[in-house]
Amino acid sequence: MNRESLKRIWRFARNKLAFALALVVLLALLPGSARSQLGLDPCCAIISAGLQSISNLLKSVVAQPLSAIQKTQQQNSDFEQQVVWPVAAINQARGLAVQSQGQFALLRQLFQLSVASATLPTTQKLEQGLLSGNPGAVQQVSGNYVAVYGAVPSVTDAPQPVRDLVDMTDAEAQAAMKKAVEMDALASLELQAAEQINQQLQNAAPGSAAILEAQAAAWVVRADAYNQTAIAELVRLHSVGLANEGARLKFSAAHTQTLRNNTGSTLQRGAN
Amino acid sequence: MNQPSKVLNSKPVTPAAKRLAVVLTLAFFLLPTGARAAGVTDIITLIRTITSTIQGAIGSALSEIQAINTTVRNLHEQVVWPMAVINQTKNFVSATRNQYQGVLSQVQHLPTNSATLASPAQLESVFRNGNAGGMGQVQPLFTKVYSPVPQPTDAHIFERNMMDMDDALATGSLKTTMISDQTTQTMLNLADTLEQQAAASAPGSADLLTAQARIANLENQAYLARMLAAELRQSAAHLAHENAALKKSVDSTRTLRQQMQQMLTRP
Repeated sequence: MNRESLKRIWRFARNKLAFALALVVLLALLPGSARSQLGLDPCCAIISAGLQSISNLLKSVVAQPLSAIQKTQQQNSDFEQQVVWPVAAINQARGLAVQSQGQFALLRQLFQLSVASATLPTTQKLEQGLLSGNPGAVQQVSGNYVAVYGAVPSVTDAPQPVRDLVDMTDAEAQAAMKKAVEMDALASLELQAAEQINQQLQNAAPGSAAILEAQAAAWVVRADAYNQTAIAELVRLHSVGLANEGARLKFSAAHTQTLRNNTGSTLQRGAN
Repeated sequence: MNQPSKVLNSKPVTPAAKRLAVVLTLAFFLLPTGARAAGVTDIITLIRTITSTIQGAIGSALSEIQAINTTVRNLHEQVVWPMAVINQTKNFVSATRNQYQGVLSQVQHLPTNSATLASPAQLESVFRNGNAGGMGQVQPLFTKVYSPVPQPTDAHIFERNMMDMDDALATGSLKTTMISDQTTQTMLNLADTLEQQAAASAPGSADLLTAQARIANLENQAYLARMLAAELRQSAAHLAHENAALKKSVDSTRTLRQQMQQMLTRP
């Protein structure tokens, strides 16, 4: 091999070696992802271990409590549906409201039956007004009352104490009759309200029933108050009756005194 | 070693050398300086952040939610709606109902009829039977016992009116008591049904039953108002009757006085 040949060989080898070296350097300097495709990067192991750790944590720290929460929620749901608010029991209670509606309607019809019993024209007129349950009929009570029970005696017919007593007694009797008409009217309104509330109850939910209960309770308080006014009127009626008894005794005593005085005067006149 | 360098320096740039220069330049520009070392660190940091977030924020929040859920569930099951107490209460309702229902019924149905003669016994039997359907029999039976209003020829119109009014209000009140008794029985049946339902109810349906009971109570109050109205009418009529008797007495006295005056003034 001569010198020229050796030079050519060296030149060729040198070029190839430089190219290979450059390629190795280029490969070595390429980004990791490019190299990882070749399955050679140690980063893969780190990422794999990290993801595994995250997966394990998700299973233990997240999935298990979530599962427990779901279980608790399910138990809560079952408990509420089966023990606290069972649909069957709720529907049964609503059914009772439907059943009661029919009974209330029947009872209302019962109280609409006429109990009028007067047979004479004057008394029939008074009775009709008293049983009407119509507040508009209250004004007619006094006139009809006087037609049946008479008016207060005139000044010439009775002494003033007797006229006062008679007027007071008539006043209380008429007031009580008017109150009776009012009470019937109020009772009708209360029954009407009760049926309306009961209708609402048929479609109520457990959560809204308490509102209706409160409303019904308010009506009961109102009805109690009205009934109390009727009892007060009854007490007044009996008070006037008692006062009349006392007044009669007093009148009797006064008459006795007058008789005694007159008798004394007559006897004295006879002696003289 | 100097020989080749001399050869290289002395020679012009070959195509191979040019290619090498291009490759090296490209490699230089493609080189992400420090990226590899920095990428691994970032990945590790990211993984650590995710891990700590899962363990810390998410994990502890879930644990707290679970604890709260458990506490609420225990509160509901052990304190608010304990099954044992609910069942015990239902049993109590049933037991109470069984204990009192029979006694109440017996007391309520004790016979109070006391008339001994035929006509009064008939009248009493009708107005105490709690059946409003029998109201039609009251009037004739009442008349049979208390007599009818006298004929116009037999009594003054003033007295006839008073008698008729007294009879009317007495009869009307008796009829009202018949309606009231029937109503009372219906309401007692409703109360019994309510108690029965209460024994089979749930905490969530009890409010509906309570509302129903309140409505029934309101109905009762209305019927009580009707009875009070009847009592008012009757008592008022009683008072009016007494007052009318006084008026009649005044009237009689006036008539007597007028007659005496006529007698005394007669020649």
